[in-house]
Amino acid sequence: MENYEVKHRGRVAQTFIYLGKLFRMFLFQNDWKVLPMSAVIAGLVAFAVGGNLYKTMEGTLMGTFAMSCICIWNGFFNSIQMICRERAIVKREHRAGLHISSYVASHMIYQAILCVLQVVITLMVCSVMGVTIPERSLFTPLSIVDIGITLFLITYCADMLALLVSSFARTTTTAMTIMPFLLIVQLLFSGAFFNLPNEAMPLTNLTATKWGLTALCAQGDYNSLPMVSIWNSALKLKNVEVEGEKPLLEAFRYIEDNNQRDELLMLSAQQNQNPAYAFDPSIVIKCWIWLIAWTMVYVIAAVILLEFIDKDKR
Amino acid sequence: MEGTSLSASFGNMYTQLLTYLLVSLGYIGIFKKCGVKKRWAFVPIAREYQISLCADKEKEGRIYTVIYVFIYLITAVMKLLEGYSTEAVLFLFIPLVGLFVTMVIYSIKIHLGLIKVFNRKKRWIWMFIFFESLTILIWGYSKKFVPSKTVENLSDAKSAKGLERDMAAIDNGLTVNIRERTVIDFFRKKTLLKDVHMQIPKGHMVLLLGGSGAGKTTYLNALTGYEKADASIMLDKADVYKEYSKMKYNIGFVPQQDLMRGTDTVELTLSDAALLRLPTSMSIMERENRIAAVLDLFGLMAVKSSLVDKLSGGQRKRLSIALEFITDPDLFILDEPDSGLDGVVARKLFEKLRGIADEGKIVVVITHTPDRVIDLFDDVIVLAKDATRTGRLAYYGSVKESYEFFGKDSMEDILLSINQKDEGGEGRADEFVEKYAESMKEKVG
Repeated sequence: MENYEVKHRGRVAQTFIYLGKLFRMFLFQNDWKVLPMSAVIAGLVAFAVGGNLYKTMEGTLMGTFAMSCICIWNGFFNSIQMICRERAIVKREHRAGLHISSYVASHMIYQAILCVLQVVITLMVCSVMGVTIPERSLFTPLSIVDIGITLFLITYCADMLALLVSSFARTTTTAMTIMPFLLIVQLLFSGAFFNLPNEAMPLTNLTATKWGLTALCAQGDYNSLPMVSIWNSALKLKNVEVEGEKPLLEAFRYIEDNNQRDELLMLSAQQNQNPAYAFDPSIVIKCWIWLIAWTMVYVIAAVILLEFIDKDKR
Repeated sequence: MEGTSLSASFGNMYTQLLTYLLVSLGYIGIFKKCGVKKRWAFVPIAREYQISLCADKEKEGRIYTVIYVFIYLITAVMKLLEGYSTEAVLFLFIPLVGLFVTMVIYSIKIHLGLIKVFNRKKRWIWMFIFFESLTILIWGYSKKFVPSKTVENLSDAKSAKGLERDMAAIDNGLTVNIRERTVIDFFRKKTLLKDVHMQIPKGHMVLLLGGSGAGKTTYLNALTGYEKADASIMLDKADVYKEYSKMKYNIGFVPQQDLMRGTDTVELTLSDAALLRLPTSMSIMERENRIAAVLDLFGLMAVKSSLVDKLSGGQRKRLSIALEFITDPDLFILDEPDSGLDGVVARKLFEKLRGIADEGKIVVVITHTPDRVIDLFDDVIVLAKDATRTGRLAYYGSVKESYEFFGKDSMEDILLSINQKDEGGEGRADEFVEKYAESMKEKVG
């Protein structure tokens, strides 16, 4: 080579070279399977907990938690093996001039497209399954788009966390062993679905589920929904007898006959409103910023860790 | 109640101290038998590492030692926090349990190693688990327990004398002056390679010969600038280290494994490699022509649309080589390109490499079956472990002269002569390192 001094392709050009590789792998290495898988998971969740989503407070809390879980699951599975399965190849290519930042950037673009597709599929499946979508929106004319943005940010955040795991795990087995631990942390520390001690609450800021769930509740105007759990629990006492009579049954009948049930449900809800779930754009924006911030942290950490790939044992 | 608790605590502490002392006393005996300095027996952490050396389980010993460091640290922090923060102590207890379980597992691994070294039955492991101090004392002081091998002490070993001076750079070829390549390995400085000096003219195909751990890969990585050594590497007039970012495109390194994505086609794999490695000034037409020429040279034209996974072993190897050859490098290095290939296919591959060398390139090849293709090589580099287990240059020169130098008639016999005795060799590495250095001193002056 006489002209080896001349310039070689920079970071942007390399990003597109690797993006091409990733799309070919999408077809040939069966990476496309994550798309039908997301449809199946969305269908199962919509069937199990979709009925009361955005209809009651309890249904919304459970439903948004489940939706966040779908996103986390999809994101984790998209990229948990992406880097570790070709670690030795990346090491060889790094030696030959590959920029790690370009390699990670190509993954970011590819995974973003994959996450968008998964969110679209999830929302389509939920619509077909009759899951209620909030009527009012905060940012765009369509509330489904607002919800879609939140679902995308949760999925993408989880995706980048899995990419980070994949960038330091030496083998796919290691990565797949770490994944359930992260999944448990994400679910346990969502900050809403499970009652945590006050000391543990700061830890919830670390999870995408907390910010995703909060944003989804706020977008669904959680505080305007009725609360049914107290009514349902009270109904179980309808046959309790006091001195040979059933006073509770009579009271329930009276409430029903006078159409006061919904009023009671709303009264019950008013006592349990959560200011963190208010229908307020600033709350949703805050959640989105947290999700984007964590995504960036994971990406930067992945790039830094991969820069040390040459130190891998031979 | 408090008085009872305090006395129980002291009782527990005395028991722990007594156990520690008994184990240390036992270790003194074992260390003496295994050739390890006895003073380490009383030093916490260090004694754990030394016993792993006695058990011939150095790798496990490193982890065992690190686990002990963390156990001591966490225990100390827990003691400090006692009475201040119950939550913090409980929180620290979680990793401590995990570490303790890991420590037990590694302790079993090391004790099994010790049982093997002392040629005893595996059921002794139960004695180590349930009566550790007593068992270690018995093994340390009973004359019936003798290790089958001792720990190699390299601190007294003398390094063979080498050339110890740089060679002048040649204008048309590769000049290697590796003074030393060291690493910090588990808090100790370790010399992997020392005093390797040579001049390889262009057009030469060179065999790199050496036993396991002789520093072949270290040498190649130092040569290419991938892992820099205390060295000067000149390719023609260019300094490989100083101009590494540019020079790496002029050096092709083909790894032993065929590291390519199996789900991509041959043509696209090569095309991406070309995009990554060829200069941007090269036109699309020139690049396409280069890709076609390389596909043709390595006999891959017929399978260019096939997925890499569908290729035969020989074709995959040729593609792996083609990825590096796409830039037409002046220095071409191959790590066991014939691994997994049968004799005929391997021969054809080496003939291709000979052709590349004949075009004025330097081709350096590691192979474990050199004799079947030795007629294709011009020179041979022989690396050997000296008495200090450092990789040294035992010979560099023509293949013909190497037979005379070592007094052998095949490369495999040469390898046998330089290998250590415990590896089944003749253990003459130091002799040849010094002999070669003397001959070079006469030549260089």
